[in-house]
Amino acid sequence: MTRSTEDNMNAVASETNQMDTDYGKNFKILLPNHQIKELQTILRDKNTNRSDFKFYADRLIRLVIEESLNQLPYSDCSVVTPTGGIYEGLKYQSGNCGVSIVRSGEAMEQGLRDCCRSIRIGKILVESDAETHEAKVVYARFPDDVARRQVLLMYPIMSTGNTVVQAVNVLKEHGVPEKCIILSNLFCTPIAAQMVIQHFPDMKILTSELNPVAPNHFGQKYFGTD
Amino acid sequence: MSENQTSPQSVEVVCPSSCSSESDANERPETDNGTIYSHDSGFEGECHSTLPASPTTIPRNRVGSASRRDRPRRQRTTSTSQNTIRPNEAIIRFSNNRTIYTAGRPPWYNTMGQQVEPFIIGICGGSASGKTTVAQKIIESLDVQWVTLLSMDCFYKILNKKQHEAAERNEYNFDHPDAFDFELMLDVLKKLKEGRKVEVPVYNFVTHAREATTKTMYGANVIIFEGILTFHSADVLKMLDMKIFVDTDSDIRLARRLKRDITQRGRDLDGVLKQYSTMVKPSYSNYIAPTMAHADIIVPRGGDNKVAIQLVVQHVNTQLQLRGFKLRETLAHSETLNQPMPETLRLLPETPQIKGLHTFIRNANTSRDEFIFYSNRLIRLVIEYALSLMPFIDVKIETPQGITYYGKRMASNRICGVSILRAGETMEQAVSEVCKNIRIGKILIQTNQQTGEPELYYLRLPKDIKDYRVILMDATVATGAAGIMAIRVLLDHDVPEENIMLVSLLMAEIGVHSIAYAFPKVQIVTSALDPEINDKFYVIPGIGNFGDRYFGTEPADYDP
Repeated sequence: MTRSTEDNMNAVASETNQMDTDYGKNFKILLPNHQIKELQTILRDKNTNRSDFKFYADRLIRLVIEESLNQLPYSDCSVVTPTGGIYEGLKYQSGNCGVSIVRSGEAMEQGLRDCCRSIRIGKILVESDAETHEAKVVYARFPDDVARRQVLLMYPIMSTGNTVVQAVNVLKEHGVPEKCIILSNLFCTPIAAQMVIQHFPDMKILTSELNPVAPNHFGQKYFGTD
Repeated sequence: MSENQTSPQSVEVVCPSSCSSESDANERPETDNGTIYSHDSGFEGECHSTLPASPTTIPRNRVGSASRRDRPRRQRTTSTSQNTIRPNEAIIRFSNNRTIYTAGRPPWYNTMGQQVEPFIIGICGGSASGKTTVAQKIIESLDVQWVTLLSMDCFYKILNKKQHEAAERNEYNFDHPDAFDFELMLDVLKKLKEGRKVEVPVYNFVTHAREATTKTMYGANVIIFEGILTFHSADVLKMLDMKIFVDTDSDIRLARRLKRDITQRGRDLDGVLKQYSTMVKPSYSNYIAPTMAHADIIVPRGGDNKVAIQLVVQHVNTQLQLRGFKLRETLAHSETLNQPMPETLRLLPETPQIKGLHTFIRNANTSRDEFIFYSNRLIRLVIEYALSLMPFIDVKIETPQGITYYGKRMASNRICGVSILRAGETMEQAVSEVCKNIRIGKILIQTNQQTGEPELYYLRLPKDIKDYRVILMDATVATGAAGIMAIRVLLDHDVPEENIMLVSLLMAEIGVHSIAYAFPKVQIVTSALDPEINDKFYVIPGIGNFGDRYFGTEPADYDP
């Protein structure tokens, strides 16, 4: 990598840190690099065909999920390697689950499954009223002991934040503490970020990009119902 | 070689010298025997009873009558293919245009990854003088594992219709310098000398044209170039590091020709004699014998002259030692302590995820099912990270929301994956999952257990690989010896050094230093860096043998 691109990346990174301070310590943006920027570019490009869209969306989702898992609690753990050496590693605590917000959140389920094979996944269906744009929870199904688990809440696009606020409210009603929720998101607007943080300051939020315009066509194009 | 003129009769003979070499190979006992033309005797002892004058430069196990055939020369750690079960059969192969490979190609470059010029031996001599026998004996006595034997017969000119007819009447002079394409010969030799890949033509003595398929050859540590007119061209002469003229009495040569052509090729006495007196003999006197003046060594009596052959072998061994082909040990013991890591090394940010994945795959007690699953996850992250280091360009696109978005696209989609077998193969799936329709090349490099050196066994790369950015994949890098060999292969295929990226799950610091020292422009990507390697060249604390654990081919006593 040349020096100039390195500087560019640093510039992007410091910009990100700026955002971190603006939105608090619980709001994180995926460490930006050119590769992630390319994925975002492809997903936003109106000329991207569906097959490419799904392919690159899945890649971005996988990266966001992997990064979300970094937020889970862990403890130190040393193991013996086949060569007899000691590796000072770490171990994740058990008791996690995923919750997707129907429909576009379901696009992220496979990415989670690819990382955690037998993880339990709950679902929440939130529908916004066509006239008032008010979001309402229509359906929710969680593992029984969801209150004792770390919850990875999956929703790819946040433009107003209303849907997520409703979903988190449902989780809280089921006894999940705010600090045990990690929101995995691909595209977020500053308005939505502020809205969600204001409501749930203890919830961890991870996104890949903060941009005033959200690619609202995501769910339609991913599932091919556009 | 004028026996080629018989080719219309002997259809099965694709290349006349290969024929003579094969017969020499198959009937080695006979040529080892003092009586040159006798077929009956089969003892080998006499040849080997001549001790090398200087045992230090010649492998001791060569001494005595113990045949090379019952000496297990190599064992391989990982492969379980049939070849490894019968190691002896892999030692020397005679392919039909006479390339002699041993099983794997050892390093042909020094510790700095730089090409070491191969040693080229030119062997000249009249037809049936025993050139091939001399070449064979040199190869056997040299304990070099990668020797290329190139025959001048490959460079016969393509004949036109008239010449072809003359050849059928035994009237085309194959012993005349005009019968050879010296320009092509020079070009091939030059490339071999540079260690480059070269396509050697395969001459068909039935059609008197070159076959559509060519034989791929690589510059080896030693190249032996033999033929009747190898000393004819001044340009070729300059490239030869050692020039040997095999001077066998013309009566003996004629006797050999008679015997070979009549008993093995079904020709009649008159025809052979006529051909000998009208073409073979005059050509020898006019063009071949005078070149004897260029020789460094003249070997009288051909393959029977053991003293002369041992002298040659001694000299070549000394030359090879001076050029230095002992690689891995040097790499493992090079001084790298406290050196800063090279700038080309890109280590994945150590997140809890990556550390957690490493904890799983490094643990000796992890089941294979989990080992594979967590390895794949880690590989995916490494590949994604590697892609982010590719060059990108700024683009401006329109979104469905009607706004302009300033983004990035990869500068070129010509990316190709190359895996170093076997462990590198485990990374192919991940690279295919992130790059649509990516081309994947493969390089098989195995460690020779006896010498500890990496050896190249197999190579399959996309045709136009020089135009690609290459993601070179190996699961672990210990000394870096295999990585250096693979990079050297890519460079030999004209891939620019800066377009190569070596990607691994785990590297030892020493390997990173060696690779970066040899190839400062190659980008090195890994998810973890371990400080040490042990005397078996495994990384400490490491993962163990990644390929064995992934593919489930651990030794029987290993059962996690």
